[in-house]
Amino acid sequence: MGLMSDFINKIFKKREVLDTSKVKELRTDFRARYHQFKLLLTANNNALEIMTEMEEALKGTWPFGMNFVLSRCTSVSTNVWKIVRHLNELAPGRYKALMDRFKEIQKKINPIIRSKTRSREGPMFIPLKEVDKDMADQVGSKIANLGEMGNRINLKISGGFAITAQAYYRFMKYNDLQAEIDRLIQTANAKRPDQLYSLSAAIQQLIIRSILPEDLEAVVLEQYRILEKDEGKGVKVAMRSSALGEDLAETSFAGQYRSELNVSGENILHAYKEIVASKYGLAAMTYRLNRGIRDEDVAMCVGCMSMVDAVSAGVMYSRNPLNIRDNSIVINSVWGLPKPVVDGSAPSDLFIISRSDPMAILRRDIPVKKQKFVCYPDEGICRLKMIDEEGKEASLTDEQAIELARLAVRLEDHYGVPQDIEWAITTDGSVVCLQCRPMQQMKEEKTLDMGEIREEVEGTVILQGGFTASPGVAAGPVFIVKKDMDTLRFPKGAVLVTAQSLPRWATLLNRAAAVITGQGSIAGHLANVAREFGVPALFGVKDAVDLLEKDQEITVDADGLRIYEGRIDSLLKETEKPRNLMEGSPVFMALEGASRHIIPLRLLDPDAPSFKTQNCKTFHDITRFCHEKAVHEMFRFGKEHHFPERSSKQLLGDVPMQWWILNLDDGFKDEEEGKYVRLENIVSIPMLALWKGIAARPWEGPPPVDGKGFMSVMFQATTNTALVPGVRSKYANRNYFMISKNYCSLNSRLGFHFSIVEALVSDRSSENYISFQFKGGAADFNRRQRRVFFVMEVLEEYGFRVDVNEDTLIARIENHEKDFMVDRLTILGYLTIHTRQLDMIMQKSASVNHYRSKIHKDIHEIVFSNQ
Amino acid sequence: MPDKEKRGSGRIRLLLVDDEVGFVDVISKRLSKRNIDVTQALSGIEGIQALRGQDFDVAILDLKMEDMDGIEVLRIFKKMVPEMPVIMLTGHGSEKAANEGMAYGAFDYLTKPYNLEELVEKIQEAAGQGR
Repeated sequence: MGLMSDFINKIFKKREVLDTSKVKELRTDFRARYHQFKLLLTANNNALEIMTEMEEALKGTWPFGMNFVLSRCTSVSTNVWKIVRHLNELAPGRYKALMDRFKEIQKKINPIIRSKTRSREGPMFIPLKEVDKDMADQVGSKIANLGEMGNRINLKISGGFAITAQAYYRFMKYNDLQAEIDRLIQTANAKRPDQLYSLSAAIQQLIIRSILPEDLEAVVLEQYRILEKDEGKGVKVAMRSSALGEDLAETSFAGQYRSELNVSGENILHAYKEIVASKYGLAAMTYRLNRGIRDEDVAMCVGCMSMVDAVSAGVMYSRNPLNIRDNSIVINSVWGLPKPVVDGSAPSDLFIISRSDPMAILRRDIPVKKQKFVCYPDEGICRLKMIDEEGKEASLTDEQAIELARLAVRLEDHYGVPQDIEWAITTDGSVVCLQCRPMQQMKEEKTLDMGEIREEVEGTVILQGGFTASPGVAAGPVFIVKKDMDTLRFPKGAVLVTAQSLPRWATLLNRAAAVITGQGSIAGHLANVAREFGVPALFGVKDAVDLLEKDQEITVDADGLRIYEGRIDSLLKETEKPRNLMEGSPVFMALEGASRHIIPLRLLDPDAPSFKTQNCKTFHDITRFCHEKAVHEMFRFGKEHHFPERSSKQLLGDVPMQWWILNLDDGFKDEEEGKYVRLENIVSIPMLALWKGIAARPWEGPPPVDGKGFMSVMFQATTNTALVPGVRSKYANRNYFMISKNYCSLNSRLGFHFSIVEALVSDRSSENYISFQFKGGAADFNRRQRRVFFVMEVLEEYGFRVDVNEDTLIARIENHEKDFMVDRLTILGYLTIHTRQLDMIMQKSASVNHYRSKIHKDIHEIVFSNQ
Repeated sequence: MPDKEKRGSGRIRLLLVDDEVGFVDVISKRLSKRNIDVTQALSGIEGIQALRGQDFDVAILDLKMEDMDGIEVLRIFKKMVPEMPVIMLTGHGSEKAANEGMAYGAFDYLTKPYNLEELVEKIQEAAGQGR
């Protein structure tokens, strides 16, 4: 007897030891899995968020730089790499091939976002005499075109030389300037205008303070000495920026960079640095950002030409820039240097000349010009007041105007596209070409004849007149900009009102709804950029600054030359959506190209045979695949691990049936010593939620069975050994919870029904997950399936995704807020109890309806009105 | 030649307060070629001393200097010579400092590095207003 009891004790002890170590193992395993699972989900969410951000960016509604493209591609790839790693930790050995897929995709992205190193061979200077348009990759397009005009079209240009892209690279490489600039850009991660201001200032100062390489200095000074030989000692020069990459993607770059006029020999090197620095001027940086031009594609070349002391000068277009169908030549001209035309700071003469043979002047507007710009004797340029008589005179004779028009046509013929030409007339009366470039033209549908007056619309006109600098209609609150100070506070969507159309206000055009200026010219920089950005602009509205008040809501009809009080919706309806200015740009294309390997999702159906590692073609595919597999691996835990009954505690209290609980981690408030645990000691969020549903209503017992149902059960019971009471499985009528604070799995078998619930519920909704499997029943297959469909219907109503396969139901719901998940678990708890044996009544539609409405009523009371 | 007919010499007298030595030299030289006579002050204190001894049409004041808070210098300037316009230079385009300066009566501000012609225009504009 004693021996026998010893033997029995030993067996039990051994079992206990086994159980204890098993539980330990189980707990370790659970914690490790849960940890990896959480990390995977975090990376998963990060990756998806970045992809969404990239998708948003591809809509082109806001500007971004290469910095954005690089950083997003890098961080999406880092996160996807993490996902793959965590999945391999979660299920060691099972998903090894994924890492290879990841690397292959990565390999495809890299060349798209990393720029190719361009060849940096060639001289640091080229004399203008040797330059033509094919040298744009060495001297920038502006100087290349200037050389073309002088050397191939035989027009008069100033003598001088170009400081090449090679010189620029040399300067940037010297002292590691480029690396330092890149570092500043990366760290600043500038988004707001004021951050961009600081960044721009910091980079420019860095460049200006940097030392030029000695060989570069020597070359520039030597070239200047040669120029002095040709043009006289102490010759002053005009130093013009000529950036490489200016003509990318139909961008105008009009006046984004600095040019310095009338520079003395001793300041050439300083001026060179200032011009190079202007690559990072606020206007240029904003512009590149808005147009998707990569910083590294822009190399600053500088043209250094003898200064032309102009009698009169200006800008002409070989066609009407506001109307592509109008082939008249448009000339804007002033006395002195062309500055007031370029920056729109003062009124200029307008000549419109027909292409007819002979050419004829169609229109001649000669305003009073109160001032002109001339060269200081030592350096620089200055504004000079003009006496009335001189100011009233036209700055061009008709003959000169026609001569210029012929030149414009000649240039257009040579280049084959409409041209925008800056010119000057010297003291000896000859025309010197200062620069030319392809002209920015409006798209046909937006064009309008200059000064066309629109039909009357309802609304109060506050101001009218001026001229269309950029067509369109827009509304917004007035914001008057008088000083640089004001630009800092300029709100998005406001109407920019300013006295002069100064180039520096162009930085506001990505925020302005419309522009109104007191004066300006359509040939000016601000007008150019406004047209490019599709911002309606009405220039030359005298007194606008005085008559409009800050914050006053107005509608600017740039086409109709009117400003209305308030919003005039009938006018605004006609306006188009803003263009995607970035489309086709290098930055945009880099993002677009990279995203082709990142964003598309082809692995949609986890049940499809194609849902395989080798079919992951994008980062999104990998992300989707891993998420699915991770959930699968994590929530196989309850099924995969044998429930160690002896180490579990029985739920104590006034509870129907037997409920056993194994604490995997932190599911109990206090550790329990004995065999039982009370509900009050349980802190598992998902278990408590389930329990609320389980205990909410007493089970009414089996529903009254219809005759056929009963027969069906009897028949099943005789043929299905699993249902024969005599061969009861160990787990029959027992219910097992494995829990931690945020996790719970419930295996339950109530009568003939098996169900498994697994859930993770925490404050981090991205981790939240519920899966529910339901199977079995005592009735015939047909009824069991009907019941499964019945349950499906209920679950779908509460947001579950449900799959039914024969008589098995699998329902899932994920990523909702904690409260939502808790409610869903309560519903599952309720259903686990109350759908039992509903299979019996599945043939009777009246009963089905009765139970359906009872279930809905109960759920509503338990979950939704009881809170 | 330039439109300074109101004054005998036609040249603008500018006080430039900035502690960036090399830079101040270059700018002074270049401004002097543009009808602007520059008196350099390499610190706030030097600026105040210069202002005691001489009249100026305009002052340019770097807000970021080693020895003294630029705003403090600005306040002293405005107390000493309320009618003299002061153009602030901000190294970092900081809105806060610029706003504060405007509240103390600064004429306008420029972000370093500035376009020389813009600077000249701003000086001329300020000088025109000051007189």
